[in-house]
Amino acid sequence: MIILENILMALQSLKTNPLRSVLTLTGIAVGIGAVLYVVILGNITRQSINERLESLGSNVLLIRPSYSHMRGVRTATNVINLKWDDAKEIETTSDVIIAIIPRYTGQGAAEFKDQNWSTRITGTTPEYETVNNVHPIEGRFFSEDELNRRARVCLLGATVHEKLFGNRSPIGETIIINSKRFTVIGLLGAKGESWHNPDDVIFIPLTTAQERLYGVDYLSSILAQMRSADDYDESLFDIETILRRNHRLRPDEDNDFRVRRQDLFLSAVQETNQEIANFIIIIALVSLIVGGIGIANVMLVTVTERTREIGLRRAVGAKKFHILTQFLVEAVILGIIGGILGTVGCMGFNYFFTDNGLSIPLNWVGYSFIICSGIGSIAGLYPAIQAANKNVIDALRYE
Amino acid sequence: MLIEMNDVSKTYVLGDVKVPALRAINLKIEDNEYVAIMGPSGSGKSTLMNIMGCLDTPTTGTYYLGRKDIGSLNDNQLSDIRNTRIGFVFQTFNLLPRSTTLHNVELPLIYSGMPSFKRKQLAMDVLERVGLSDRIMHKSNELSGGERQRVAIARALVNKPSLILADEPTGNLDSKTGEEIIEIMQRLYEQGNTIILITHEEYIAKHTNRIIRLRDGVIESDEKKI
Repeated sequence: MIILENILMALQSLKTNPLRSVLTLTGIAVGIGAVLYVVILGNITRQSINERLESLGSNVLLIRPSYSHMRGVRTATNVINLKWDDAKEIETTSDVIIAIIPRYTGQGAAEFKDQNWSTRITGTTPEYETVNNVHPIEGRFFSEDELNRRARVCLLGATVHEKLFGNRSPIGETIIINSKRFTVIGLLGAKGESWHNPDDVIFIPLTTAQERLYGVDYLSSILAQMRSADDYDESLFDIETILRRNHRLRPDEDNDFRVRRQDLFLSAVQETNQEIANFIIIIALVSLIVGGIGIANVMLVTVTERTREIGLRRAVGAKKFHILTQFLVEAVILGIIGGILGTVGCMGFNYFFTDNGLSIPLNWVGYSFIICSGIGSIAGLYPAIQAANKNVIDALRYE
Repeated sequence: MLIEMNDVSKTYVLGDVKVPALRAINLKIEDNEYVAIMGPSGSGKSTLMNIMGCLDTPTTGTYYLGRKDIGSLNDNQLSDIRNTRIGFVFQTFNLLPRSTTLHNVELPLIYSGMPSFKRKQLAMDVLERVGLSDRIMHKSNELSGGERQRVAIARALVNKPSLILADEPTGNLDSKTGEEIIEIMQRLYEQGNTIILITHEEYIAKHTNRIIRLRDGVIESDEKKI
């Protein structure tokens, strides 16, 4: 009952000094807005990483060449040692690796009529489609036959498509990649932003890439699909055995390749992102504390200004408790209104100035409510105690 | 017997110096008396009123209001006594400036925990008695001085107190409005209220039927009109 009265009185007293109230609120509003915004960004990044994780599957290993070392000393900048034959041998020899996707990735300039665009060219095999879940939204992936024939066919990533064709369908058109003519047979859907744009790519048959475009016989990476994620240790053993033998590494030489589980790598990226987000949240929380100090300051001024009112209230029967709650409620309301403004402001900013949409996680709206009322009550406690402990007679005659 | 004071003293300590404000006051006031307390400034009349109004407790001696020994009460109990048994009228009105007349008058009832509709009804009743029915939704800083003091009187009456304490209620008013306030006081007395009035205006004191004069913290004279 008395709390309801307190809320009404608090709203009224905030209304009597609107500018001061608004300025006080701003600190809290900006702080909570910043916290929420960082949370939103974090969620979006996590979402896109999760999507990538799903499309990769947890049972895919990435094999890449690395510098070979002997007793810790780099012996060569050896990136040409990973061959298609290595990949084929792993696939046929190992029981636990069920599919192998060799890749060669190079830079290329793609041209269509007067448009041109510099992009990544990835040569691979038809299995890439199923293992990596990259299905064309239009047209088709290239076939085994086209791979064998070194056919000049290509699939465009969404970014390349947009740069070269705009909105038009590219299927059946001829584009020029590094001065060679290619027929577009497929278009891939957009995967969205990540730390590098996965849509800025052209896929062509591996043979075409190695022999017609780049004249190389090595690979830039191999994807190995395990039977299940549990086969990691055995897969790793098989890969190491085969590659070390094929590369003729002596027992004292380090591996000249690296094997990485894609999901673990992405988890690590995610963890780093989370750490950065947490750090920014802490900074934003500091600004919330500054906002809290602002509330405390204004409440101290208010208590002094309203000394006579406090005296009068005590004279007509208010107990210390009543005065304490009155000022505490006022501070909490300042905090809560600040929190609401911050939340609404953050949602508005997000909606009108970014492509993220209205995606404030509901639990964080709850947290921000708790944080703001918490800051309000901590900030208001000392001024409220001061108000409650004023001497009634002195307060009544205060000028 | 409404008020009974036995050897009430009040001493203020200012640093190392003890300043006696009241010295061994013995005083009895019955129900439905109309008393003026007079005296030059520094005579202790404000201190006496603070003690009577339960805003302060005596250093020594006992003060009974009704049958209650005020000296033995804690802060919360004193608040309750002020809330239910005493109505204050101050020289400076002490209204909440940005609140409505109605809210100012119902304030004591908020602290006694009375439900809203009942509070509003009681507040309207007393506002009618002081002739302010047409001003209930005005902010108190929109009212004239006389109207403000009538709001303050309504506030003092709203909890049906056993004792109304008025500290120079006409001090901030011109003489014509002061007369109006005194007339209201007179009427309240005739309706059965006990009123204690602090003043240094002889013509106001003349309206009462008992004049207590203080000097240097002791009662100099205590005259009852017959």
